[in-house]
Amino acid sequence: MSATLQVQIKFFAVLREQAGVSALDCTTSARTPAELYQELQTSRGLQLPAALLRVAINGRYTEMDAQLQAGDRVVFIPPVAGG
Amino acid sequence: MFELTDQPIDSGALRARLTRPEAGACVVFEGWVRNHHAGRLVTHLEYEAFDELARLEGEAIAAEAEEAHPGCLVLCVHRTGSLPVGELAVWIGVASAHRHAAFLACRQVIEELKRRLPVWKKEHHPDGAAEWVNCTAEAAAGRLSSENYYERQVALPEVGATGQAALAKANVLVVGVGGLGSPAALYLATSGIGRLVLVDAGLVEVSNLHRQILFTADDIGVAKVTAATARLKAHNPLVQIEPILTEVAAGNVRALVAGRTAVLDCTDNFATRFLLHDACRLAGVPLVQAAVYRFEGELNLFDAHAPGCLHCLWSGREVNKLESMATCAGEPVFAPAVGVLGTMQAAEALKLILRVPGASDFQHTRLVNLLDGSIQSIERPVDTFCPVCRQPNAVVSAIVAPASEPVVIDADKVATMQPRHLIALLEPGEELDLSSAPPYSIALPIGNLVQVRELARRGPTVLACRHGLRSAALARMLRGEGMHNIYAQAGSFAAIRIAH
Repeated sequence: MSATLQVQIKFFAVLREQAGVSALDCTTSARTPAELYQELQTSRGLQLPAALLRVAINGRYTEMDAQLQAGDRVVFIPPVAGG
Repeated sequence: MFELTDQPIDSGALRARLTRPEAGACVVFEGWVRNHHAGRLVTHLEYEAFDELARLEGEAIAAEAEEAHPGCLVLCVHRTGSLPVGELAVWIGVASAHRHAAFLACRQVIEELKRRLPVWKKEHHPDGAAEWVNCTAEAAAGRLSSENYYERQVALPEVGATGQAALAKANVLVVGVGGLGSPAALYLATSGIGRLVLVDAGLVEVSNLHRQILFTADDIGVAKVTAATARLKAHNPLVQIEPILTEVAAGNVRALVAGRTAVLDCTDNFATRFLLHDACRLAGVPLVQAAVYRFEGELNLFDAHAPGCLHCLWSGREVNKLESMATCAGEPVFAPAVGVLGTMQAAEALKLILRVPGASDFQHTRLVNLLDGSIQSIERPVDTFCPVCRQPNAVVSAIVAPASEPVVIDADKVATMQPRHLIALLEPGEELDLSSAPPYSIALPIGNLVQVRELARRGPTVLACRHGLRSAALARMLRGEGMHNIYAQAGSFAAIRIAH
């Protein structure tokens, strides 16, 4: 059996447009952001390849294979273009 | 300081905030919205930010630049919202006493900001089409990433995806960012060593430039680690470079080598070479060492867990060479010689990390001669009585332990001190010339540690040997065992002669 977690996801820029929403509360069996993104690619039709993404959890950059905790605020960061 | 704003940026007001009497320069970068990109017309840009993280990252970027370039004051403002052509999107100002640091810091801020500030822009075209910059399929293909950067290296069977991942996880220390350290660090960075730590206390000088290829004439007067970090990041933004502006000394060497995957000794003096070697042995970290003398150089790999160490190598037989290579500060140097040897150091470190079978030779010294183009391998001696690698438990801790008093002292100081004993450590074939030795001198075979310890317990004891290296190593070891009244006499001990 795999336990599920409740996490909060926020989308920006191209991902917000692809997801059709800017935030989402979701129950997931994913253990890592990488697994979570894979789920979202299917459920929300996200097209940006995972290899191009970075991820922030609770407002800090972290790794795509970090451990998700219940209540985490997860943000997938598309390639940035500041300046 | 960093700010995000959805209001037009007033550059004059920002510039005024940087004004201060001690500043002699202010470098300002302004990023403007332009009317074209990749061959298409642009009508306006829409900037979106992940506010919470952007403020954190922006502050961190400004603080890092101020830390890397002491004396610089950084102010950076980034816009969000919809911006027409000609509008100011980002403003970076750096005030500093001198222009060079201000230029470097300003460049660092804009490059880091473009690399990691979570801000996105959408380009709108006259035909109504729009796309997010860097997020299109074409942009993804041309974008610098670990997939395309290392493509030609990962294709080597000795590297592959596993090897590349090992390089990305590696944490390598390069001590000395000069002639050897420049090419060594450059190849380590471009090969994808995940964390590269640079240690050097020096500033770039004019006379460095002919051989220290990380630096340009613009870097004169700047700390070598600072200039090198900027250069290496420009070469490969995917790796992490950590500059440490310090001398390597007994007090910090253990902390510097701890936890490294490998250490490269690119220094030019013997004291540091022994210190690093001993610290690596103690920490169990492999060491890649090189030294250059004019047109020639030598390369050694040391395995921290096997017999055969630097003390074995210099146990007295090649002392003329040792003295001539003791320091190359001010020595003439053929630039390609440091280039070749530094490059070889990078190659050896990479092979160690990749664990290429049979590719790491810990038993031989490689001698490279650029005058006749030869490379020779010479088997390194393993000293049966080595006080360092043959004493696995006593080990070198001592050598790197900070001592309250200097361990190695001059002959004059020994004479004033009148020690209880001066022990002449003799190798086979040597004897003590009693006619020229001080009255408190006694002779012992070099391997007789038991007796040395015994005598040293009785009072202030000075060790000496024919060349002064092994006695110093042993004295440091005994200091580390808690013998506070042990010393070594600096240099060679003249009263030791070859037995007849």
